[in-house]
Amino acid sequence: MRKTLDIWIFLSILAFSYSCQKAEDFLDKKPLGEYSEVDVWSDLALAETFLNGIYENGLGWPFAIERLSDYSDESHFTPDWGATNFNKSLMTQDDLQGWSVSWATPHTMHFLWDSVYRNVRRTNIFFSKINQAVVDDASKQEWKDNLVGQTYFLRGLCYHYLTSMYGGVPIITKAYTLTDNFKVPRNTYEECIDFIVGQLDSAIMYLPDDQADLGRITRGAAMALKARVLLFAASDLHHDMNSYAPGYSNPELLGYTGGSQDARWQAARDAAKDVIDLGIYDLYKKDPNPGDSIAQNFVDYFITEGETVEDILLQCYSTKTDEGWDHYNPALYCGPNGYHNWGNNCPLGDLVDDYEMRDGSSFDWNDPVQKANPYANRDQRFYATVLYEGVQWRTRPSDGLLIDPYSKIQAGAVYNIDEVTMLKAGLDTRKGPIEDWNGGYTGYYVRKFVNPALDPQYVKQEVPFRHIRYAEVLLNYAEACIELSDDAEARDAINLIRKRAGQPDITESGDALRQRYRQERRIELAYEDHRFWDVRRWVIGADAYHQTHAISVKYLVNATSVDSYRQPDGSTWGAPVYERIDSPAGDQRAWDDKCYFFPIMRDEMGKNDQLIQNSGY
Amino acid sequence: MKKNPQNDAIRQKYSILKLLLIMKLSFFLLMVNILAATAAGYSQGSKLSLDMKDVTLKQVLSEIETQTELSFIYKSDLVNPDQRVDIRASDASIEEVLADLFSDKNIKCEILDNSLIVLLPKSTTTQQQKVTGKVIDALTGEPLAGVNIVVEGTNVGVITDIDGNFSIDVPGPASALLFSYIGYTTERVEVGSQSNINVDLALDVTQLGEVVVVGYGTTRKATATGSIATTKGDEIKRSPATNLTNTLIGRLPGIVSVTRSGEPGYDGSTLRVRGTNTLGDNSALIVVDGIANRNMERLDPSDIESITVLKDASAAIYGAQAANGVILITTKRGQMGKPKITLTVNGGANRPTRIPEMANAAQYAEMLNEIDIYRGRDPRYTADDIQLFGNGQDPWGHPNTDWFDAVFKDWTGQNYENISISGGSENMKYFLSMGHRFQDGVYKNSATNFRQYDFRSNIDGRISKNIDISFDVAGRQENKNFPTRPVGDIFRMLMRGKPTMPAYWPSGEPGPDIEYGDNPAVTTTDATGYDKDRWYVLESNIRLNITVPWIKGLTVTGNMSFDKALRFHKIFRKPWYLYTWDGNDDHTLAKGKRGLDAPELYQENQDGYKITWNTYATYERSLFDVHNIKVMVGTERQQGYNDYITAFRKNYISPAVDQLFAGAVDAYLTNNGWANQNARMNYFGRVNYDFGRKYMAEFVWRYDGSYMFPKGKQFGFFPGISVGWRVSEENFWKNNIAAVNNFKLRASWGQTGNDRIDEYQYLSTYGYASTYYEFNLNEQNKLLYESRIPNPNVTWEVANQANIGFEALILNKISIEADYFDVRRSEILWRRSASVPGSAGLTLPPENIGKVTNRGFEYVIGYRGTYGALQYDISTNGGYAKNKITFWDETPGRPAYQQSTGHPVPTDPNDPNSDMYYQAIGIFQSDDEVNDYPHWPNARAGDIIFKDVNDDGVIDGLDRVRSDRNNMPRFTAGLSINLRYKQFDAAILFQGAAGGQQYISPESGEIGNFYKEFADNRWTEDNPSNEYPRTWNRDEEYWRANASTNQMFLRRTDYIRLKNIEIGYSLPAVINRKLGIDGLRIYVNGLNLLTMDKVKLIDPELERGTAYPLPKIINAGLTLTF
Repeated sequence: MRKTLDIWIFLSILAFSYSCQKAEDFLDKKPLGEYSEVDVWSDLALAETFLNGIYENGLGWPFAIERLSDYSDESHFTPDWGATNFNKSLMTQDDLQGWSVSWATPHTMHFLWDSVYRNVRRTNIFFSKINQAVVDDASKQEWKDNLVGQTYFLRGLCYHYLTSMYGGVPIITKAYTLTDNFKVPRNTYEECIDFIVGQLDSAIMYLPDDQADLGRITRGAAMALKARVLLFAASDLHHDMNSYAPGYSNPELLGYTGGSQDARWQAARDAAKDVIDLGIYDLYKKDPNPGDSIAQNFVDYFITEGETVEDILLQCYSTKTDEGWDHYNPALYCGPNGYHNWGNNCPLGDLVDDYEMRDGSSFDWNDPVQKANPYANRDQRFYATVLYEGVQWRTRPSDGLLIDPYSKIQAGAVYNIDEVTMLKAGLDTRKGPIEDWNGGYTGYYVRKFVNPALDPQYVKQEVPFRHIRYAEVLLNYAEACIELSDDAEARDAINLIRKRAGQPDITESGDALRQRYRQERRIELAYEDHRFWDVRRWVIGADAYHQTHAISVKYLVNATSVDSYRQPDGSTWGAPVYERIDSPAGDQRAWDDKCYFFPIMRDEMGKNDQLIQNSGY
Repeated sequence: MKKNPQNDAIRQKYSILKLLLIMKLSFFLLMVNILAATAAGYSQGSKLSLDMKDVTLKQVLSEIETQTELSFIYKSDLVNPDQRVDIRASDASIEEVLADLFSDKNIKCEILDNSLIVLLPKSTTTQQQKVTGKVIDALTGEPLAGVNIVVEGTNVGVITDIDGNFSIDVPGPASALLFSYIGYTTERVEVGSQSNINVDLALDVTQLGEVVVVGYGTTRKATATGSIATTKGDEIKRSPATNLTNTLIGRLPGIVSVTRSGEPGYDGSTLRVRGTNTLGDNSALIVVDGIANRNMERLDPSDIESITVLKDASAAIYGAQAANGVILITTKRGQMGKPKITLTVNGGANRPTRIPEMANAAQYAEMLNEIDIYRGRDPRYTADDIQLFGNGQDPWGHPNTDWFDAVFKDWTGQNYENISISGGSENMKYFLSMGHRFQDGVYKNSATNFRQYDFRSNIDGRISKNIDISFDVAGRQENKNFPTRPVGDIFRMLMRGKPTMPAYWPSGEPGPDIEYGDNPAVTTTDATGYDKDRWYVLESNIRLNITVPWIKGLTVTGNMSFDKALRFHKIFRKPWYLYTWDGNDDHTLAKGKRGLDAPELYQENQDGYKITWNTYATYERSLFDVHNIKVMVGTERQQGYNDYITAFRKNYISPAVDQLFAGAVDAYLTNNGWANQNARMNYFGRVNYDFGRKYMAEFVWRYDGSYMFPKGKQFGFFPGISVGWRVSEENFWKNNIAAVNNFKLRASWGQTGNDRIDEYQYLSTYGYASTYYEFNLNEQNKLLYESRIPNPNVTWEVANQANIGFEALILNKISIEADYFDVRRSEILWRRSASVPGSAGLTLPPENIGKVTNRGFEYVIGYRGTYGALQYDISTNGGYAKNKITFWDETPGRPAYQQSTGHPVPTDPNDPNSDMYYQAIGIFQSDDEVNDYPHWPNARAGDIIFKDVNDDGVIDGLDRVRSDRNNMPRFTAGLSINLRYKQFDAAILFQGAAGGQQYISPESGEIGNFYKEFADNRWTEDNPSNEYPRTWNRDEEYWRANASTNQMFLRRTDYIRLKNIEIGYSLPAVINRKLGIDGLRIYVNGLNLLTMDKVKLIDPELERGTAYPLPKIINAGLTLTF
């Protein structure tokens, strides 16, 4: 009995001890890793952290495995992933082709309706909450203004992307809650531009000229983006809708239906001039000394791990930036397969051919001298942008080094003199012994933005992406001047850039000047995410989307086998035979005018009956 | 008569029940009060007057209790309360009355503390009495060898010899003998004065006496009213599968199971009770030894007594977690008797059920040439090349590699050992077990393997007559070893492995990689480092079971369980080396460092616990012999907490020391940590009533609270009701349909909940992203995102489930059980994202809007019989479940044939295009055919024809059609055959599934190899196939692109397989005795031995070609008991 009693008491205590906590308290658990809404918006430090999230999606992944250059006439994306179908204008409202492959979209994360609008929502939340922040001294007020200014910029940037892709879109400035009406019609293109410019004007008002953090938006960046936005708005795409969308019933969604285009060019010109007049930006090494390697200047500029006088908005990276295998590792993605790199974003022969000769004349395959030695005496920017047959590149990894002790790009093949029997394929081709299937099709690889000091197999580089730089502002200014027939002013701006590049001044006027300008812009801003939009706003789609070209390099020897790609002393097996060929990737592009704008997806149309579809879809 | 103080006690007793029901106070505190209240009862010298004729002993005792305020305590096997007696006494003392009452029995009485009368066996001098006899099969008359005979309540036991004879010494005539034999009903025989006892044992066909485990208790199968499936540990043990979840399919009707991977360490099956019921989490609640939310995968099969599945409203006792069904697992416990040692030793070998057959080098080279030709390029290989790839004359320049052959062993090993000791006396019973298992990976020099050590100690003790205590501890260590490349990458690379590339050079060095150092011949070994994943699990439970002495039929059970899980995970990666040949004549190879430049180490620790307390009281009472009532009420709390910490260092100077400290202190050094917690509490109860075991009714309920929901909305009430009618007990049945020995109808309805949703959906919070944004150089800045838009009204899903079924036994041989069910799941949390425009920019929180119905049936038909000395039983079972979305958020504007409402839950409910396919209706044979039919831009001969479903002359997104099938089978069935012939036994299990499909779409082309079947049957100009299209390159062709999934690559996964077979031989008892052992059985068994299906390419249960294949296992073992 005694024992039993003891047990009763023990059990009673046990039971009591756990039943005394009230049920609600027992169940009242909190997430152990999150901040409450009140915490976030009363503290500017957390608000800034929220703003950082808007940057991530606002500026996107320009160094992703697939780049915007692959969707214009700059480069070819080796594994395709549907990019060819996009470039054949096969986009429909069901399928954006390679633009949005479901398993890898970092390259278009900031160029898709849904994801940009998600970011818009973040900016809207910011504006609806930021006034809850505790601002109890002047430095906090300054900090808050700074954050507000950055967010205005980012909201403007989101809408700039949206209008560039779709034309007029619904302008949403409210942070929706569960019960709001989400069905909103599209605003006109004009309303959108006015809205974006308003956002950027606010940003300019709030932002400082300098930021403590490299990569944060400054006043200059806001002014430069405004200049870009106004330049886009002034372009033919938004004035001459009938030329590509005849009969489309809602041209106000695609562009302006009234007012003066000249006035818009003037606004673009003024905005660019405002940036120039700030006097804080200039070209990097704008006045090369006679002994300078101009090509090296360019290489150095694009791999500068920090800010130069030319930089207006940078996106920084770290060796640890690791958001996914396809998000950030540009040197690995685009390097030659003979370096165990993945051979993507290969420069098209068409881009290479557009680099002028050093004397300012055009390169010409029909000139036998130039054909025999196509990489001699070209615009210095070519050498800073493209890797080509025989050029010295970084030391090969250990296995490659045994095969090629000279570490020179091997983009061709050694053939028997019958020109049919291949004796030895170059390491950096699709027939080489190392990762052949990662070899590029065009015979070229990208050098721009690649830091050769690191082995990208193992280490990521920290080279920033230069979203806005002064050269673009000069070009934007020049373009507006040309369209306003102020040719002299335009030539001055262009020649600043050409001087830095070591190219002779241009002297043309009128339409010839316009063509020289467009060529200059293509070369100067290659691989910087401009060309894609330029061919659209200039309404020159058909000129840009066509059969692409590559280079064939053959060494001919009178033998049935050779031991190596180069002779043991490092010299080649005779002079290479160059041939401009159709891209062996089957990269036969085509243009359909509907592609000047993106389609709104069929499901989105279904979800919002207020929407009007773009022309041609 | 003075005021009866017991009335107070009774009043108190009812107030207790009331209190229990409202659950405001601890039950136990009140039990202390009872103790106090009943202590003042009997006074010495009270006199009794009795005059009762032909009444039961129970009634007499009850009358004495009333008159004296005494309570009786006795063991029911000592005193038969239903015995008819006469008693007459006038003013007699209680001692006199009792002496009279038990005069002819071996019983004495003791009065304790003036309140209790305990009836005890008279201590008699032990009179050993020899009993001999013979045991035969009741049906065949054949003698049964090896039958266990035990003197009840003692350790004394013998077994029958080969002729069925036995001889045993029993303590006296009051003893009883228990005759037990596997597969037969146990017989109990009172010895009395008999010296020769012959027993007929009947096959246990009916299992009517069987007790099945239900929530917080047990019930008799005969009178159970719920839909319950059960299987025994002995059955499970027949399977050599290394993961417990892989043994259930085909054995338990209503369990749908698919195994998506066979990787050692991660080879568990997806288990679903009655298929798919919700758009969200469909996993069942697992309860091990009464503790919810434990893991079942790694339980040692030797420790398992039974597995029970609650499929219908009977699960409602588990409330808000029970909507997807409940799987209850009970482990073995000690039985009274001498220590029984069981040793199990198994050694086996396994290989994949199916290895993909890939194109050979010549074929692949031809196909690459076709890719070139289709793109207007010169073909890359000459006819000579292709010939050399085919004839093997140039292994250096033209290899022909079968990658699976190069990387896989033919067979790989596995073994399993267990030793258990069980036994006990009246006061202490024990079951102790230790096990070990090992399972090797299928790769040559495999870095992958799995090893487990486990132990279990289940102890039952009797502290006093009324108090039983159980103390269970089980622990295990799971060692999971892997190469540093994830299994998905390895199998992707195996599929991509080009037959034209060497796995090894003829000189023995490993060949080059496709990229990233991935040559699977090397990345499957420890050459790249190691990935060690160690799990330590400790599960403990203390249970007190109190038979409340003052209230007959009342027991109180309290459990406290503490479970601990620790994880230590370490991935040490180091560079490896591959060899490249550039075609030079001396075959000089270039060695290259691959993968990474210097070693790096990732380490992860996890520390978690879970505490469960529960207390419940069970009251069981029979009134007037026919009203049987059982009431149970209880309460339970569970809470859990997990801590995580990780660390990483890179750039080790040397691979020789693999510890964190040795890594570089540089920008890559990181660490991280986080935690989570959970809590649930509830009150539950069950009332069973039956009238004469003929009409049964059961009511279960749970008032369940979960931390998942906001304050004030945490609790919900979940009831379940079921009724049964044993029609065969009715006279009209017995008189007319005697051939049907047992026929029971049953029906149930109940509401259960599913709280398996994302946590804290009612809170408006912000959380850090796992990503960063860089400002400045090499500086990662945290990102804060809105975690969710809160939904203050979030609640659990509700399942309204109805079930109707019957059980029948015909001619004592054929048993049939069938159920029809109808489950209507509502309040399913679902996002309205399909109808909210993307421009809103928000991800709406899930709201309780979805509705899914699921209907189907299950059946089991069994037959038992003999043919001469052959005993056999055959049983087949099946389950069919078809679900349908009755409401969810549908994208507006889609045509009817694309809508999912009214159709089964898609494979991926979150993807609006899941299970939508273009209709592949053939292959364009010529460009003319292309021009004659609406087609995709750039279609050409050899391409797949997509049907113009809406006849608008254009092939676009509107031509996709929703398929009603998804990746889960709709019908699963099993056929089990058990045979026994003298010393031999055999068990065979066939298992099949139907109604599922898979999209099998390999990465082929320049990126990797083709399935041989595609390669053999592809369209070419010379082979105008209508079956398969022309050679493709990855997803460049429109019919390969992501957004144009089409039927061509869809395969039905219906299959039938010989799932499990076991053949055993047991030594005859005579030999056992000579060897001094109790039994020895040797056996061979196998798993997944034969498969018939139409998938062909991969195992029909796998989801992708890049998953680790399912094993086919052949195993031999022995079980020794002594």
